[in-house]
Amino acid sequence: MTATSAPVRCTPQAGRAAPLGLARLLRVELRRNAMPFVLPLIALVFWFDSYRIAATLPPLWAERLFYIFGQGHMLIDFAPFVAGVAAWMGSRDGRRGLADLLATGARPRFAVQFATWAATVIWAVGGYLVFMAATLWALSRSITYGAPPYWPLAVGAVGVAAFSAAGFAAGAFFPTRFTAPVAAFGALLACGVSSQIGFNEGTGWALILPTNSNSNFGQDAGVFYQFLPDLPIARVMFLGGIAVALVALLGVPVTAGSLRLRHIATVVSAAGAALTVTAIALTATAQVTGYGTVIPALHDAASSRPIPYTPVCRNAGIRVCVHPAYRPWLADVTAALRPVQTQMAGLPGAPARADQVATLFTVGGPGLGRSSVGQIATISGQPAVLYLPLGALNLSGAFGQDRTDFLDAIKLQTVHAFVTAGSGYGDPAQTAVQAALVQNAGIPLARQARQALPDSPWGNAIAGPPGNGGYPAQIATAATRFAALPAATRHAWLAGHLTALRAGHLTLAQLP
Amino acid sequence: MNVEISELTRRFGRTEAVAGVDLRAGPGVFGLLGPNGAGKTSLLRMMATVLPPSSGTLRLLDRDPRSYGPRREIRRRLGYLPQNLGYYPGFTVAEFIEYFALLKDMPSGQVPRAVAAAIEHVGLGGKARAKLRTLSGGMLRRVGIAQAIVNEPELLLLDEPTAGLDPEQRVAFRTLLREFGQRATVIVSTHLVEDVAAACSEVTLMDAGKIVFHGTPDELIAQGEGHGIGDAPLERGYSAVLAAARS
Repeated sequence: MTATSAPVRCTPQAGRAAPLGLARLLRVELRRNAMPFVLPLIALVFWFDSYRIAATLPPLWAERLFYIFGQGHMLIDFAPFVAGVAAWMGSRDGRRGLADLLATGARPRFAVQFATWAATVIWAVGGYLVFMAATLWALSRSITYGAPPYWPLAVGAVGVAAFSAAGFAAGAFFPTRFTAPVAAFGALLACGVSSQIGFNEGTGWALILPTNSNSNFGQDAGVFYQFLPDLPIARVMFLGGIAVALVALLGVPVTAGSLRLRHIATVVSAAGAALTVTAIALTATAQVTGYGTVIPALHDAASSRPIPYTPVCRNAGIRVCVHPAYRPWLADVTAALRPVQTQMAGLPGAPARADQVATLFTVGGPGLGRSSVGQIATISGQPAVLYLPLGALNLSGAFGQDRTDFLDAIKLQTVHAFVTAGSGYGDPAQTAVQAALVQNAGIPLARQARQALPDSPWGNAIAGPPGNGGYPAQIATAATRFAALPAATRHAWLAGHLTALRAGHLTLAQLP
Repeated sequence: MNVEISELTRRFGRTEAVAGVDLRAGPGVFGLLGPNGAGKTSLLRMMATVLPPSSGTLRLLDRDPRSYGPRREIRRRLGYLPQNLGYYPGFTVAEFIEYFALLKDMPSGQVPRAVAAAIEHVGLGGKARAKLRTLSGGMLRRVGIAQAIVNEPELLLLDEPTAGLDPEQRVAFRTLLREFGQRATVIVSTHLVEDVAAACSEVTLMDAGKIVFHGTPDELIAQGEGHGIGDAPLERGYSAVLAAARS
């Protein structure tokens, strides 16, 4: 120690110095924050849990981002780490025995804590945005149409901020070394419970939960219609309200600062809580429409307008047109329709054209609210047009589905639409004829059972699809017999009986 | 007067840590002596505006710290080294001192120079960029002193400041105290009577929450003449006063 140089005498100028001082404080906190140390770990988890899976899904934004945004994996992967580290930072002063020394600071305690939290959240949200930018860029390399939705991205960013606020507040109010792991586990639990509630509650207030996988956006969002921002906006309000309420709560204790500051903090905290409650209330008014979830108070009618497009077409015996976003599957669609078309050609009601239609939200299974699963192909109009909701099918690459599954689904749905005129599963005679035609289009009876869509109204109509162990013996026998007929005989019989068959006037015994 | 204390009391439950203390102090170095549990730290914490008194009056730097505005003003002009100094292991010496300079609301433009001066003052110029986790206990104590003096306080409160310092550093530290005492009120709580003898112009001896002696070091030494136990004259005075207070 030397006594040669005296410290600089400083004139306190709190009013003018405060913003610059806070900026310097923030710079120190940014430099010494713990969050950067866990970002590589988060990146690893995010890659493993989100990107790795999303990258294998069909190259459509709605498909690829359903796992990350729709099921909220962007939050599930971040939240435990962010909450834990934020709690670690929040509890830092207490754990390090600095409470006394910090209490002698002239700057309001709240301002100091806010700087620490701000540094934590800047790292966390910055890391999130960088990871998401890299993810979207990597995913976009194989997506040829449209743009990703940005409101769900904002939900993730605000969610990360909310979890950091929750963790930090927990650490600040309970400054022990156990707070961080408890906060991390609590965040994981919150995400898990939120997901679980989402599996059972597909409508109403539960939609506010950011990891609720229901009713976020349909398969054809961003293709035929826009990603509706209503629900993400409500979620941003919900999570933003939580973040504001919890951070402002730090300014309420006696030690936080002046009475005025504490009053302001109380009001801001209450406003944050009110914002959260408002978001929940708004979500309770949500209506799940075919295009997505509409919250009347937040809805902009312009966002419901279909997106104009010019279809791309190909010939498969008939002209087949799909949305340009589905260009990668056009060859598969024509390949699937060609053998089916061979079976239907020249028969009454045979489609003269096949057009892709938008997949809309429809009523899902019990308690599930709405989903895109279950929409099926239909044939209507004069001349008849086959309308294919390709988005409702499992595109090749979607969660374990391969190209054969996709082709089979198109064949099954087309023949079903042709034979049953769009009714439910069909009566035994319709089922047998349908099975025979599909077999002749290249799908053996045994595989047809596997290919039926269990969640579709077609399957549900007679208490279960044919897939559970195969067709009943009588239907299978009749189908085999009908399929074995010479093509000309079968065609002639269908030409004469198809109308009666569609109307449900034929029995199995009446089949040749 | 920078410190004016009247009938100051602080209770923790049924325990009266500080029991009706009166004290007035202007510029100079004041030694606060006393055995463990005498109430020195509680008194210092009240003067540091960390701990509110249970009763009595306390004026610091001509301000009443009970109100937020004056308390904030006091804190801008206060330096405090607590008995147990916590630290952020990942911070460098310079960052840690800069952090507390900013907490003391120093004008941002003056902070870098003030930090550098404080670091030089405690002889840690070569360690400015070292992480705190790499420093020895004595060096950490010097970091604590640096953060206390970075704003050149008008009221400097030091609780056991020389704990962990080697003899050479203690000598330098006493010089520092004397220098500060010329323009500020420095109150040093310590067990080490030689620090008091070397650096303090006045000494206060506490026992059981009360002030049992207040005077110059020479007056305390005089109390011990022919009485008490201890190797040094001041120690004998210390023991004699305590013995008298307890009898």
